[in-house]
Amino acid sequence: MRALATICLVLVLAGVAPAADWPQFRGPNASGVSPESGLPTVWGKDAGIRWRAELPGRGPGSPVVVGTRVYVTCSSGPRDDRLHVLCFDSATGRQLWHRQLQATGSTAAHPKSSMAANTPVADDTGVYALFGTGDLAAFDPDGTLRWYRSLVGDYPTITNQVGMAASPVLAAGRLIVPMDNAGESFLAALDPKYGKNLWKADRPREINWTTPLVRTRGDRTEVLFAAPSGLTAFDALTGQKVWTFKGGAASIPTGTVDGEALYLPVGGVSKFRLEANGVAEKPEWQAKDLQTGYPSPLVYAGKVFAVSSQGFVACAEAKTGKLLYKERLKGAYSGSPVAADGKVYCMNEQGLCTVLDATADTFEPLAENALGEPTLATPAIANRMIFVRTDKSLVAIGK
Amino acid sequence: MRVRSAVVLGLGLAVAAIPARADEEIERALAAIRSVTREGQGNESAGPAWKTLVSKGSAALLPTLAAMSDDNPTVANWLRTAVQSIAAAERDAGRKLPAGELEAFAKDTKFAGVARRLAYELLVSQDPGAAARLLPGFLNDKNLDLRRDAIAYELDVLEKAARPSLKADLERLFAASRDRDQVELLARKLTENGGTANVSEHFGFVTFVSLVGPFDGPDRSRFETPYPPETALDTSGTFVGKDGARLRWQAAGTTDRMGNFDLNKLLGPYKDAVAYALSVIVADEETPCEVRVSSATSVKIFLNQKELFGRDEYHHGVTFDGNVGRGTLKKGENVVVLKVCQNNQREEWAQRWQFQMRLCDATGAALPVRQKVLLAGRPQLVKLGFIPESAPNPQEKK
Repeated sequence: MRALATICLVLVLAGVAPAADWPQFRGPNASGVSPESGLPTVWGKDAGIRWRAELPGRGPGSPVVVGTRVYVTCSSGPRDDRLHVLCFDSATGRQLWHRQLQATGSTAAHPKSSMAANTPVADDTGVYALFGTGDLAAFDPDGTLRWYRSLVGDYPTITNQVGMAASPVLAAGRLIVPMDNAGESFLAALDPKYGKNLWKADRPREINWTTPLVRTRGDRTEVLFAAPSGLTAFDALTGQKVWTFKGGAASIPTGTVDGEALYLPVGGVSKFRLEANGVAEKPEWQAKDLQTGYPSPLVYAGKVFAVSSQGFVACAEAKTGKLLYKERLKGAYSGSPVAADGKVYCMNEQGLCTVLDATADTFEPLAENALGEPTLATPAIANRMIFVRTDKSLVAIGK
Repeated sequence: MRVRSAVVLGLGLAVAAIPARADEEIERALAAIRSVTREGQGNESAGPAWKTLVSKGSAALLPTLAAMSDDNPTVANWLRTAVQSIAAAERDAGRKLPAGELEAFAKDTKFAGVARRLAYELLVSQDPGAAARLLPGFLNDKNLDLRRDAIAYELDVLEKAARPSLKADLERLFAASRDRDQVELLARKLTENGGTANVSEHFGFVTFVSLVGPFDGPDRSRFETPYPPETALDTSGTFVGKDGARLRWQAAGTTDRMGNFDLNKLLGPYKDAVAYALSVIVADEETPCEVRVSSATSVKIFLNQKELFGRDEYHHGVTFDGNVGRGTLKKGENVVVLKVCQNNQREEWAQRWQFQMRLCDATGAALPVRQKVLLAGRPQLVKLGFIPESAPNPQEKK
């Protein structure tokens, strides 16, 4: 007992936080926040890079990290129909395995996107990779195929010619698969072991790129899924609609749950109070200056950060919505800001990352770091490193 | 001596029996994976079967490739990942893949195109020189990836060698090309080198149709509503259209080399509307066909009154060949009807109401059939893609 206490004390004194996973789009529950510390502030194309691994294709989807494994998906080929799932050792960048699938659904998409726009989700048992083609595969950590499904094979009218991008999540022991589209539109929960439907809820026939959020209230886990027609909460176990909120409309950026607060990218960013059976009708505050776009808003260090697609960063008090600052960054943004270690990382489409002091009430850039490679993806934070997937490579930034 | 013989005999039998048992296990595993159907039915057995296949190593490589089918992409993906895992394990163990067998497999067209392509990729990953050896043989392959690489390879060779037969060689590559970017590239190169390239005929676009519309489609049910022209077999009918207008079929043609018909110009910029295009296709024999359509809005494709395909989606981009209906043309006259819907979006980027339609085989090659058209007041049979040299621009509302 004393030894354990000593080890903990030493870890605390050494400033070593326990390693935290980044298992899905925007990390733990899509928050964009990691408890990791000791993260880099300054790096360059060839400086401060722990490793760089070449990727076989593009993808706006982010890497995810569980334990020592980094998973990432890509798509490639003249028809963008070759789908890749790769696993790397987070410490060395050694490729542990690489599996490929052939797209079974349409590869139509906006030229900026690709079929690897959805971020995979992972846990200790492996990784679940959903592609814009509706191809969905589960792999064990060693690359063993656990199961595979062609969702377009199962539901042939699935269609979104702008391209799919919503990411799956894990909740209450289920794989939650968002498939809002112009054809057979649904949210489904699959058995992670065999990939079979546990429930499948009909959804409005509208295209939507948001990723579901999860909140646990008592013994019930809810999946909060925003779309242009509003926000719906589903019971993760049964698929029953628990409540709906028409004011929660969004189609690209994903909101954030922070305790009993729900921050949604509507009217800039709006803060709502989550209640037992829904959302308070009126927001606690609405900050129109917190413009988003492709990137999702971030709640961190008592503040809300929003980066617009055009490159404006705005910061407001999380409690009141009072605007603290709004400044112009360089370039355009697709990836969302992420935070840890007292810093906010804003990565633009050219791989230029502006690092902000999250604790400051004024605009305090700590560094501008050029990676030298285009990226549309949100970075991942784990194992005291920042993982960035570019159009060409997976880069681990850190010591 | 007797004991020794018995041991030798027993050992021999045992060794002989191992492959047989292994083969049986592989076959059982392949059967389990082939049993996977929709919504994950069969996944419980397929997962362990996948592990069995991979555990058999190179012995399972060719049987697994051979079990892949172009007609079952779900099963093909299960098997594809098994092949990759086997190959990776062999490489990690420092063992070579069976190059001769892979090469023979890649060349053997009785196997599925996806499997042959995978065999080719495995072979080239181990022996990059195999590409130059094999690609020329894939110029007219049914697998579009092999064909594409073959064309790119041959074009590269042509341009480096500057052969006197350049024009003829470019014509050969143009004829083989299927992907739009390669077709357009080769058409340009052919033209630059004194040749001609008829892109419209190459793709097999329908360039003459009869049009009728607009019908009133006030909500999304317009897609499912069977307006009378849906089952038309000729252009004799008259109909009640939007705002009570009396509608008749009217002849229309396109001079666009990519076969586009602009309904906003031909019928008018209607919203909440439905139009139909009818084409009579004459085949000399029963012919499997794909009716491929590009459109920014919802479409349904009918062949001889049978619905082949539908997609109910508006203004999410126009994908070349984005809608594919598969059917069979009968010998003689066939009626292809295309339904093209328009919604009521008002944004500037949501105003397109058009279509492009072609008839081709599974590789995308224009079918050797003819479209029945009215030229100079007389019915004639012309090739798909035919554009009269003196054709006026018909993309205008009269």
